[in-house]
Order: sequence, then structure tokens, then C-alpha cells
Amino acid sequence: MSGDSAASASGRSGGRPGRPVGRKTRGSRWGRLLDGGLLQGGVQGSPVIRLFVRWVRRPLLPVMRLWRRNIQLKVVVTTLLMSLGVVLLLGFVVIGQVRNGLLDAKVKASQSQATGGFAVAKQQAEEAVSVTGDDGAAADGRPSQSVIQWMSDLVESLSSGGQGAFDVVTLPAGDESGSGRGPRASGQVNPTASVPAALRERIDASGSAAQSYTRIVYDTKKDSQPGLVIGKQVNDPNRDPYQLYYLFPLTQEEKSLSLVKGTLATAGLFVVVLLGAIAWLVVRQVVTPVRMAAGIAERLSAGRLQERMKVTGEDDIARLGEAFNKMAQNLQLKINQLEDLSRMQRRFVSDVSHELRTPLTTVRMAADVIHEAREDFDPVTARSAELLADQLDRFESLLADLLEISRFDAGAAALEAEPIDLREVVRRVVSGAEPLAERKGTRIRVVGDQQPVVAEADARRVERVLRNLVVNAVEHGEGKDVVVKLAAAGGAVAVAVRDYGVGLKPGEATRVFSRFWRADPARARTTGGTGLGLSIALEDARLHGGWLQAWGEPGGGSQFRLTLPRTADEPLRGSPIPLEPKDSRRDRGPDDAGLPRGGGDGEKRATVSARQAGADGATRDPFALRPATVTPTADPTALPGNGARVVARPAPPARTGGTRTASGTQSGNADDADGVPEAVDGAGPGADDDRDRGPERGAGAAGGEGGRSGTRDADTDGEASRGRR
Amino acid sequence: MGGGERGRGAPVRTVAYAASGIVLLAGCASMPDNGDLRGVESTPRQDAQVRVFAMPPSEDATPTQIVQGFLEALTSDDPDYKTARQYLTREAARTWRPELSTTVLSDGPGAQADRPDRQDTGSLSYTLTGTKVATVDAQQSYTPASGSYDELVHLTRDAKSEQWRIDAVPQGVVMGKSDFQRNYMSVNKYYFAADDAGSPPMTVADPVYVRSHVDPTTQMVRSLIEGPTAWLDPAVRTGFPEGTALRKGASPLTPDDRGRLTVPLNDKAAEIGTGRCEEMAAQLLFTLRTLSPAVDEVELRAGGGQLCSLAQEGAETVATRGALGRPDYLYFVDGEGRLVRITAGSGDTEPAPVPGALGEGEKALRSVAVARDERTAAGVAIDGKSLFVASLASGSSSEEPVLRSTGETEEDRLTTPSWDAQGGLWVADSDPTDPRLYLLEDGEGEPVQVRTPGLDGRVRAVRVAADGVRIALVVEKDGRSSLVIGRIDRNGGTGERPTVTVLDPRSATPELEQVTAMSWAGDSRLVVVGREQGGVEQMKYVEVDGSTPDVPAPAALTGVEAVTASEDEQAPLTAYSVDGIVRLPSGAQWQKVTEEGTAPVYPG
Repeated sequence: MSGDSAASASGRSGGRPGRPVGRKTRGSRWGRLLDGGLLQGGVQGSPVIRLFVRWVRRPLLPVMRLWRRNIQLKVVVTTLLMSLGVVLLLGFVVIGQVRNGLLDAKVKASQSQATGGFAVAKQQAEEAVSVTGDDGAAADGRPSQSVIQWMSDLVESLSSGGQGAFDVVTLPAGDESGSGRGPRASGQVNPTASVPAALRERIDASGSAAQSYTRIVYDTKKDSQPGLVIGKQVNDPNRDPYQLYYLFPLTQEEKSLSLVKGTLATAGLFVVVLLGAIAWLVVRQVVTPVRMAAGIAERLSAGRLQERMKVTGEDDIARLGEAFNKMAQNLQLKINQLEDLSRMQRRFVSDVSHELRTPLTTVRMAADVIHEAREDFDPVTARSAELLADQLDRFESLLADLLEISRFDAGAAALEAEPIDLREVVRRVVSGAEPLAERKGTRIRVVGDQQPVVAEADARRVERVLRNLVVNAVEHGEGKDVVVKLAAAGGAVAVAVRDYGVGLKPGEATRVFSRFWRADPARARTTGGTGLGLSIALEDARLHGGWLQAWGEPGGGSQFRLTLPRTADEPLRGSPIPLEPKDSRRDRGPDDAGLPRGGGDGEKRATVSARQAGADGATRDPFALRPATVTPTADPTALPGNGARVVARPAPPARTGGTRTASGTQSGNADDADGVPEAVDGAGPGADDDRDRGPERGAGAAGGEGGRSGTRDADTDGEASRGRR
Repeated sequence: MGGGERGRGAPVRTVAYAASGIVLLAGCASMPDNGDLRGVESTPRQDAQVRVFAMPPSEDATPTQIVQGFLEALTSDDPDYKTARQYLTREAARTWRPELSTTVLSDGPGAQADRPDRQDTGSLSYTLTGTKVATVDAQQSYTPASGSYDELVHLTRDAKSEQWRIDAVPQGVVMGKSDFQRNYMSVNKYYFAADDAGSPPMTVADPVYVRSHVDPTTQMVRSLIEGPTAWLDPAVRTGFPEGTALRKGASPLTPDDRGRLTVPLNDKAAEIGTGRCEEMAAQLLFTLRTLSPAVDEVELRAGGGQLCSLAQEGAETVATRGALGRPDYLYFVDGEGRLVRITAGSGDTEPAPVPGALGEGEKALRSVAVARDERTAAGVAIDGKSLFVASLASGSSSEEPVLRSTGETEEDRLTTPSWDAQGGLWVADSDPTDPRLYLLEDGEGEPVQVRTPGLDGRVRAVRVAADGVRIALVVEKDGRSSLVIGRIDRNGGTGERPTVTVLDPRSATPELEQVTAMSWAGDSRLVVVGREQGGVEQMKYVEVDGSTPDVPAPAALTGVEAVTASEDEQAPLTAYSVDGIVRLPSGAQWQKVTEEGTAPVYPG
């Protein structure tokens, strides 16, 4: 890690020293809010309600699933709902109009009937006065004339005109019940219950007739029914007022209305069913071929390229099917061609490597002879002989790598897995790299080797991978420490190799695994490896069903992580070691960037092997405890869409480890390798982790990172472009 | 869809199916013109009765309002006149007995304050006035009445509450005629003729008035059990033992869904036999016959067990009713004085002479009577002087007249005879100098002169009811003839010559001045042709108690000289008028039977 890059990094992030704290607390509050409520069904409050909501939602889930997946259901249900709405609306409108029409007619007829009745009542009163007028005049002015029978007779004569069509009721005017006129009613009508009080008051107040709708109540077992009541104040023969009401039952109108209602309901039901059936039919016509096409497409994508759609007829759907089939055919053709081509090329590479071997052996032998005799040559020739031997070595290893990788390409690589202790492998690798490290002035430390780290693996291949990684780390470590970290958790074991060299620029984390990739194309490949080492390592990891992933930041070093399943066939769900180390510059902040803090305060820090300890001494600890309020810095150059999943957003440091359950940093664990059993990380292109993870650079390189092709190198810092071996 | 794939036959079949479906649907789209035969349930006619709702006295009501409110409450359907009692003082409410009598006034009671200026003394009198039409006594028996109604009502002002209340009121209730007709209905109670030895026994109708809106079933049953009215009591017996009553606390009687009425009786009836019990049940069934909902079966219970149960059909074997005898023929005298007959109730207008002497025309007849068994007939000769009896069997010979009259003119001689149910022949001699009523036992032998105490005037017409207990007479006195119903009493006879008496005659048509013809037209109903004072001749029905039944009068007919009806209401009313013999089938207009004929009679 160069000072330049450290300075630039700190300069960038130093502009906002105070904000992350506030941001963090706010974020945690939001996080708590999200955790507590919104993310879990959106219901805040008692767990009873939440339980209830869950209980209600559970049976609905399959329905909702079906709803999401089935367009036919969607269309049919939507059609049904819409047509139901229209039918209901239409029904209400029509029923309303019919009701108004019926009522209008009834009210007009009733009014004329009642008006006639009032006239008759008035006339009868006058006649009664004229017949008995002399008596009334002769009396003392008191109402001596008996109106009791007169009024009963009047009600009877009025009501006899319309049996069933209307009933007649008389009520005393106002509160004057004491004048001796009790209510009278024909046809078993209950007079006081049937005439609304408001109408009585209205008629008391004004002399004109008034009407109202009411419910006619009967004293017998007959059901009450809606009715129209028309009333007026009339005078009896004694010229005392009383109220005369005509009650018209609306039975017939109600029957008509219910007939209309029934008709409309039946018709509406039929229409709704018809529309639903039409929608179902139409959608089925369209959906069936679409479903078929989807199924065929799935089978095509699964590799069964000979699948074709069944095509009948000549309509639009048939044309779609034909086009689809044509496309599938062309695809099949092209894929076959490409496969053939690829096979041929691989074969060619393999053949070439083999064919080159024989002459190379000869050349080698000759060169060895020349090399051994170089001291007899003049210096220039001797130098050439040395060069020849070097390049021959290089040529040989290149050829070996090419052969190896062509074996992978041909699928000829076989895994010979057996339970091995990765610590042994690591020790061998470290001791093998010791001379190189000494040359570079680098100290290699091993962390996490207290416990056996056993996995079913091919020891030769794992050793090759690790050697590659360690040698790379030493070579690019610029003399700084290299840390090899082991961990096992869940069903996985992992080995991470960390260096503090120039690091990787954004986007390079995936490209390092490309064949013959070099960081700076302009620089000649003069030293080191063949450019195939990491590719082979990746293939080896893949062969184990494991991951090999890289992370790096400019000036902050890099970390390569190998994750293997504990048993050979088990799929990987996560890695015990986070891909981004905790001591990344982003996590540590600007102050201590570049310099890992010293002090052996990490209780869980691995004690390095005796030789290593003797060489350097454990004075610096890159996995030192970080303060909890580390300022996360976003790298503005890490743009979305970049191969490195960079999200320009700080996240709580608690999340940096991978999942929200990570507790390593907060509990003071410098090393969360074994404290985080579920540290799911770097699951390739898994999208779910995106929001939870902090800004993370470095990406999974194992397992199909095809979507990461669009990389934009907008790097402005870090001149450390490196080729990797 | 897909029909076309099955070959050529499929579309044709599809089209055929569619066509037949369309035809079927088209059938639904027009009104049906055949088929779907089913019975029609009779919908009960809506009761358009006007009801009066009694109102309790209002606060601070004037005395006039109190009196009027009380009178109005009397016309309401209040079961126990609870509301009316609220107008009375506590003392008066306790002593007032509304069930004692009902006074019917022609036009409702008028109330007049005696001294309106004395209101402030806390004591006031009102006079209820009106014209009496009838009274109904405690036995619910209707009696026509006349004269003016004049009763005093006294009010006091309660010292504490300052409210006027009635403290003296005449017993019973009073109301106008139309109110009476609205609130009461006439019901026949049925008893058995006391001296009837026949089997099944003949029933006698005893009309009473019950309040039609206040649980009439229970009222009728209670009234039936209590026994016949005083007028009829000597001549009838009842199946109910002495002291029988409805069990105490019995709920209102209502028939169940199947028309079965359970009548709980008290322990007095517990020990009787089945025959007696069936008589009681038959009485109940006949009595409740007219009621709605119909009672089809009666179950009597007493002492915690079932006594007997009788259905409507069974009742007619236990006892018989006059109306159950259906006449076979209508008889009349044709232009040649012969007795001829046509089938009753048919459209037949071709009369056939009856077999026997009377049909042969040897003696010209003026009026005839045919026995109820239609085997014997009696005829009065054209001059009215002599009465012949002959069998209706062919070949019977005409005998000597059984009775002769010595009246001076034709009009003053023998009246139309009448047969009773026991075969006795009744005829009156309307000789003004010596008016007499005769009974020929079994239609022959020496005529018995019937004693008619209390009957003033000469009998112009006689008709015996089918039950043999009641007799209808038209009695003329001082140029005024009226219909009189009497009770036949055969007791007190000595030896071979029984004494027959017509007792307690009472007027059934006090309003008619001139009764020209009459005939029984039901168990307790007669059809009368007569003229009111200052009125025109009219034909109407009357009940034996003098009330007017709740049925429409027959259509008007002029110049009616004779009328006959059967107690069976199916037989058409037949009359002899200026148009000859005419008949009135139910629901139709008068139809002419024949012009050549007089004196139409049904058997009886």
C-alpha cells in the first residue's frame, strides 16, 4: 500500500469526518424501524395482531401465488369484477328508474283517490249537519250530536270502495283526544303505528293534504308492508276537526319491483357468467400457446435444443409458433457450430502443447548443456545462455499450464478428494514460499490454525491453488506482511490470503482470473508466471465445487479467498471468512490507512509457525480491533454496474461482515473467522445481499460471473497495476 | 366447437338441437293457453271491518269529552271494556256490568248536559237519549225494541285529581245500530228438540249475538254450554250436563291447523257416556259451523282425559238439521188447479203433474203443502172451503176433505197448510168470526185446535219450522198483519187428545206493517214479503229474533203473493208474482219458471 494512495484516500474521505456518526445512528433507527415493523408485514403493535395477520395471510399465500403466476386467472377475475360492477351499476340505475316510475304512477292515482275521499268526507259531514241541523241549533251549542257512529260509518263507507287497494284511518286532531274520537281504522290496520308522527304534526299545522311513505302495520298476523299515506284535516258534523288518512299499500309496486329485481339479477348473473366465460375462452386461446412457448423455451435453455412447438393452423398464434421454432432451429445450428469450433480449438491447444513438448525436450537438453558450459563462454554468450535457460523454464511451465488448462477445458480433470487438514497444506505452502518471502522481505503469518480445518479435497490441487495465491501475495505485497487465514464454519472451510500491496483497482477483482490477463498491457511480461495461474486455481476451486474470489482496493492491498465445501458434493451456501477484510482502508478510516496497527491485542490471532515468528515477530496485527465507529468511505470511482459490487453508500459497520447477524466487530472480536458461522458472503451474483452488505469491493469470481462484463475503469488513483501469476 | 370434427352428421344434429331449444324457449315467451291444471287455494277475503280504538280519557278532559269518550269506548273492540272503565270512578267501574245488556239505538246515543252551568260544583248529569231499536239481554238474545232511550249519566269531579269521572252509569252498553252491526254477529246455537223422539234427533237453532272481534269462538262455545235462551228453553234440551262449563283458566279456543278444536270442560262433564258426548260435540260443530277459520273436528276433554272427538261428517249422523233435508221437487198449482212439480234446483221449466189424486185435477186447488218426506200432500180447494190430503203415490184416491171452513169469502177461509217434521199438518182458518189454528196429527184424523194464548188476531198464514219446535204465523189484526214466531208446546195433553199450544209468540218484524207472504229460509231465518209503514212492498230476510241478518236481501220483485224457500240454501227462492212463478238462483236475477201456476211450495 503506497503512501500516495493512502493520502489520496484519506483526502477524499476526510472531508466529512462528522457525518458518519449521525448517519449511523439515524440509519440504525431506521433499521430498527424496518426490523420492527415495516419489513415484517407492516403492522406495528401487539404480536397478537401480527399473529392474526399471519394467520389470515397463510391460506391466502397460495392464492396470491397463483394470482401472480396465472394471467388467465387475472384476466378472468378482472373481467368478472368489471362486468359485475357494470351490472350492479346498471341494476341500480334501472331499478331506481323503475321504482320512481312505479311510485309516480301510484302516487298520482292515490292522490286523486284520496282527494275524492276527502271531498266525500266533507260532503257527508255537511249532509249530517243539514239533516240534524235543527237539533244542533236547538241544543245549547255543545256538541250534542253523536259523531261516534257517524264517523265509524264514514270510515266504513270510505273504505268499502277499495278493499285491498287502500285502507282508511281517522285520528283525532292534535292532542284533542278527549273530545271522544278514538282512532278508527279499516282493514285491521294499526292506526297509530302506521301513520308517521311527522305527518300528523304536519296535518295538524296546515289544512292542506299531505302525504308520506310509511310502513303499514297490521294488528293481525299479516306482515307489515310499505305504503303511501295521504292525510288531511276534515271537519265532522260538529265542525270539530279530525284527521282522515288514506293508506295505500304498495304491495303491487313492491311485487313489480321485485320482479324487475329478479329479472335484472338473473340477466346480470348470466351476463357476468357469459363475460367471464368469454374472457376465459379468449385468454385460453392466447395463453395456451404462450405457456407452451414458455415451456419449450425453458427446455431449450436447459439444453434440449431439439424441442419444438406444435403448430396448428395459420393464425397469429401459429405464426408465433413458427417463428419460435425457426429461432430455436437457428440457435441449435449456431450452438452446434460453436460447440464444434470450441472443441476443435481446445483440441488444437492440447495438440499444440503436446506437439511442442517433444521439440522442447530436445531444446531443453541442448540448452542445459549450453547452460552448464556457460562459464566457458564470453560474458555476452554466457548471459544469453542464462537467458535461454530462464526462458526455457518459463516456456516449460507455460506449456505445463497450457496442458493443465486444456485438460480442464476438455473436462478431463478428475478430482481425487480425501479428507485433508488444510493446515498441513498451508504449512507446506508457506514453507515453500519462505525463500521468496525472505527475498522480498515479507513475513507470512498464518491465522486461525489452532483447530484442524478438515475438508474433503484434492490435496495436490488445493496446494497448487494456495501456493499460487501465497506466491502472488508475496510478490505483490511490496514487502509488507502476508496473512493466511483459515476458518471453518457451517458446511464450508475457507482460506484467505491477504496482502497489503498495491491492491486491485475496481473491476480488476474479476478480471484477475482471466487467462493471460495483465493489469498493464503495456508492461511486458518479464517476470513471474504464465498468466494462467489464477485461471487454473479458479478451475481447481470449481472442480471442488468451491469458490475462489478476489477483493482489493487501490493501495489497500487485496485478499483472495478460497472457499471449499466440507464434503465434496455439498453445495456452498456461504463462506466463513468475509471477502472484504475488516482492515480494509474503507473500514479503518483515513487515519490509519496503510499502516496496520501494531500491538498484539487480538486474542484470537493466530500464532504463526515457529520459523515465521522467529523471522519477524508478531508486532503488527492487521486484524487488530477496529473502533466501532469506523467511518465507511465510499469510493466514488466504484460505479454501479461495475464488476465490483460497489454501492456508494455507507453501511453500519456491523453489517460489513456480511449478514446482519455478524457480531464480530461489535463484540471486540478482531477475527470473526470462527465467530460467524453463518457469515454468508460473496455468493456470486446473489442479489439479496446487495442491500445488506456494506460497500464492498471485490467480487465473487467463482461460478458464472458472466454478468460482470461491463466494467468501467474510471480509476484515478493507484498506479499499481499488476499482473498476476 | 369441435362439432365439425365428428363428421357430417354432427352439425345437422347440432342445428336440430338448437332449433328445438329455440322452439322450447319461444314457448316460454308467450302466455300459456293450456295445461298446468291445479287447484286454487281460497284466499281469505280481507276483513274490511272498521275498528274503533278506544282512547283513555285525556288529562283535564271536559265532562262532555268524558261522556263522549266513554260512549265511544263502548263501540271499540276492547275485550273487557278496560278503556271504558277508565272513564268511570273506581266505584262505578266495579259495579258496572257491561255484559248485562246491549241497547241498540237507531242513531247512536246523544248526550245532553242537564245543567251545563253547574260544572263548577263538581257534579254534573248528562242524559243519554236515542231511539231504541233492540236490546240484547244477558243471554245474548236479541229482542226488537222500540221507544225512546233515556238514561242518566252522572259525573263527579274527583277532589284529589281534579278530573271528571262518571260515577253513575246505566248497566250494559249502548250503541248505534251500525256500530252494533259492526261489532256483533248473529250466531245460531244448536240444541235438540225436547220432545223429539226421532233418531237422529232434530236440532233447533237458537240465535244469539256475540261480539265478532272479541274471540267469538270462545264466546260461542261458552254461550252454547250455558244453555238455550229463555224463550226457547222449555222446548229444547241440551247435551251438556247441568253445571258444565269451560274449564277455568282455559285459554281462548282456536282451531289448530287441521281445523280441530279442543274444548276443555270442567269435571261436571267427566262422567258422561260417548253418546251424550257426541251430542255435545255435534252441538258444538253445528254452532261453530259458520265460523272462520272453519272447525272440522271437535275434541272434548274433561277430567284430564279425552271424552270424545267428532268430525263434521260424524255430526250429521248424531243429529240432523232442518237445512240438511234437501227438497227433491218444487211444487205448485198449475192453471188447471192441479198439483204439479218440477225438479228443484234445476233449470227445468216443464212441470209434471204429481202422481195421485191431487195431480189429476179432479178438484181445483188454491194452495198446497207437501209433506217433508214428499209422500203426502195437502191441498186447499179453489174456494178455500175444504182441505184435502192425498198420497203422492200414483193411483191414490181423493178422499173426503179433512177440514172445512165456513168463512164468508174466499179470503176468510183456510190458509195455506204446512207440514211439520213429525208429519203433522198445520192449517189456519182465518174466519174473522172464529179464527182458529188446527193441527192434524199425521195428516189425518180429527183436527186438533191449537191453543194460541197471547195471540191477538186471526192467522193469515202458517209455516212450521223443520225442527217442529217453532212456528211462524202471520197474524192480522186491525188491518195490520205481522210476522209472529211462536213456540209449539205439546205438553199438558190428556189421553188421546194431546193439547197443542203455541206459546210466547213474539214479533219478528216489528217494523213491517203488512206482511203478505213468508217462508222459512234457514235454521233461524225467514224470508218475508211485506211493507213498512209508508213504504213499498219489499222482500227481505229476518231472523226469528227479529234482527236483520247480515245477508243481502233478495232482488226486488213486485206483486209477490206467495214465496217459498227451502231451509237448504241451495234451493232457489221461488215466488209467485205478477209475472207468474219466478225463482232466484243464487247469484243471478229472477227467472221465470212458468206463467201458468200459483202457490209454489217446497216440501214443508
